[in-house]
Amino acid sequence: MEIIINNLRKTFGEKVAVDIPDLTIHSGELLGLVGNNGAGKSTLFRLILDLIKADTGTVHMGQGARGKEHENPSCPDNPLAPCSLPLAPCFINVAETEDWKDWTGAFVDESFLIDYLTPDEYFQFIARLTDTSDEQLQEFLSQFQHFMADELTGQKKLIRTLSAGNKQKVGIMAAMLLRPKVLILDEPFNFLDPRSQNAIKHLLKKYNEETGATILVSSHNLQHTVDISSRIVLLENGKVIYDIDNSEKQAQNILENYFEVNE
Amino acid sequence: MNSYKLYKLICKNADLQEKRHPLIDKNRFMKFFLVFYWLYFAAILLFMGVVMAMGMKNSYNGVAAFHVFDGGVLYLLIVDFWLRFGLQETPAQRMQQYALLPIRRSFLMRTYLIRSGLAWGNLYWWFMLVPFGLITIAVPLGWLAFLGWLLGWWLLCIANGLFYLFCRALILKHLAWTLLPMAIHGALLAIMLVPDKNPLDMPCTLLMYSFLKWEFLPFLCVGILILLLYKANFTLQMGMVHDEVGKKEDKEIKHATQFNFLNRYGKLGEYLKLEVKQRMRNKTVKMSFYVGLGFMILLSGLMYFTDIYDNLDFMRSFICLYNYIVLGMMTLITIMCYEGNYIDGLMSRRESILQLLTAKYYFNVLLLLIPPIILLPLMIIGKMSVWMNVGYFFFTAGVIYPAFFQMAVYNNNTLPMNTKITSKQGNTTQQIFSTVIFFLPLGLERAANALLGEPWGYVFLASLGIVGIATHHYWLRNVYKRFMARRYKNMEGFRASRNS
Repeated sequence: MEIIINNLRKTFGEKVAVDIPDLTIHSGELLGLVGNNGAGKSTLFRLILDLIKADTGTVHMGQGARGKEHENPSCPDNPLAPCSLPLAPCFINVAETEDWKDWTGAFVDESFLIDYLTPDEYFQFIARLTDTSDEQLQEFLSQFQHFMADELTGQKKLIRTLSAGNKQKVGIMAAMLLRPKVLILDEPFNFLDPRSQNAIKHLLKKYNEETGATILVSSHNLQHTVDISSRIVLLENGKVIYDIDNSEKQAQNILENYFEVNE
Repeated sequence: MNSYKLYKLICKNADLQEKRHPLIDKNRFMKFFLVFYWLYFAAILLFMGVVMAMGMKNSYNGVAAFHVFDGGVLYLLIVDFWLRFGLQETPAQRMQQYALLPIRRSFLMRTYLIRSGLAWGNLYWWFMLVPFGLITIAVPLGWLAFLGWLLGWWLLCIANGLFYLFCRALILKHLAWTLLPMAIHGALLAIMLVPDKNPLDMPCTLLMYSFLKWEFLPFLCVGILILLLYKANFTLQMGMVHDEVGKKEDKEIKHATQFNFLNRYGKLGEYLKLEVKQRMRNKTVKMSFYVGLGFMILLSGLMYFTDIYDNLDFMRSFICLYNYIVLGMMTLITIMCYEGNYIDGLMSRRESILQLLTAKYYFNVLLLLIPPIILLPLMIIGKMSVWMNVGYFFFTAGVIYPAFFQMAVYNNNTLPMNTKITSKQGNTTQQIFSTVIFFLPLGLERAANALLGEPWGYVFLASLGIVGIATHHYWLRNVYKRFMARRYKNMEGFRASRNS
């Protein structure tokens, strides 16, 4: 699934939170978003998820546009037809329809969690909404056994009583539960112990390789971001400063210099 | 920094916290309404003070006007006590923000207790007392007498405020402590109302008269009472600070009921489960349900066991209507405000809000099965007609509920779900709306019965309701569409008011 951002701008009073003239996140990319505090990472995610209103510009989601042959689930009449328009009808403006919600999973903060449910109930709730059977749910959860460390499922604890790290785990798993084609995680390594951080890195890499999903991850942890991302975008004051191909982990030096890590 | 400067700084921060509350800070409409309501009630009190003073003139049945007024001091203090709920937090609740700063907790506690004593709110009754006292005391007895009387009232209000804080702190420990002020006030009201002559009238009058005459002993007694209440509050609330600062719910739930029978309804069933669990697992939501149910039983019981409402047609209609709408009103007037806590999660699912609204509607219609059960004894003994119940049942489900659901479009303040008693429940618009919703049907019922006669007036109400029920898919979708059109504004409001 491709994400196309055009002339996207969001301000809060005088402060420019996001100002991106043009950015395309290609299908199957694992994009790491880095930047200092207040750079606009979370705001960008919220704009992509249509949770806040852009001052100007659009976010489109879709598949294989610009004249290429593609499988196009949004063009039922001719799903394999090439799209000739820059933004063909198979691309969806996230502010105009809810279709994209069927293939998008996200976890930005605790406001994504229904905290008076137990983790089991919450997973079941999400599973039923996404037409996932109980068997599929159990199979899904079994992949996360190591990540959950026996602390989430089979408990009678409500989500609100969990530690910040365990809440984070519930949010990440719920976002991945519907097998999304677009996965958006805001600072997923926060609050997690080192073992869980490692586990989530592997899970994301594996999911990306197996499904070809487009994954967007923001983080302050440069090492983790470099380890998992195929491309890294550095945001500062809402603007894209660097857009780095990281297929050979070449972003490490640029990022370390920018953030003055070694000084 | 010396103690006085620190005291001023903490008070300033507390003032800013109230002034910059997200619900008020960014909402001109809310600011206007708060000022409007403040002035409105001040004007009413002013008016009452003048009217009472003019009405009683210099004497009432041979007794000076202020003596008559002072006889009712306990009534006023009881009202003052219960009005403080929802407006005043306990100091322990405010300590958290200073937990890690190098300020002694005992100093903070003293600051908050003194601040609550000196709060302007304790002077609000002066809008009534000043005009009344000016006319009935200052003119005949002089300024000094008037000032003594006013000072006495103020000290009693401070003592009442400290008693409220004490009770509120106990209630935060356990809800059963609500019975303490209820028992004390209930006993006082029984003593004052049951006998032909109020035995507390004279002591109250004498107390206030002694203030007026600047007698030392009553001032000393009230002063000692204030000190005792201050000390009791200090001791109790210091003990609670640790609980409040390190507040964390750590218990496992006893029963994680799954409500599997709702699985057959698919996604709607999931949202119905959510609705049920929201009521069962969150103190605020659960409490509002019990309070509503309690009042339903209380009013119906009064009507069943006494004859006080037997000749009052209006009260009969009122009690019937109250029973039908109160449970819905408790949560629907603030519809979506609890969901504000997890609105981003809901909004990232397709049409989840529509499913949620539909589930809420069905759940609240199911709740309408409770009132006929409570009112059944009244119907059996003939104090309430079956037709009235039928009329209000359908009217509530098909007309009043759709009206409540309109609030889903406009509500955008997140309410905490799991505090024992929240500091703020709903906003002014919601309160005005609930008042209108409450009294409009009563007027309609009067008009319908006057025009069509009983039971056709109720049949008319029921018919209107049936139309609303039959078209619920249509109006729910309409509410959903309008909600989506306002989603950015609402989500911004929910986010801004979350955890504030």
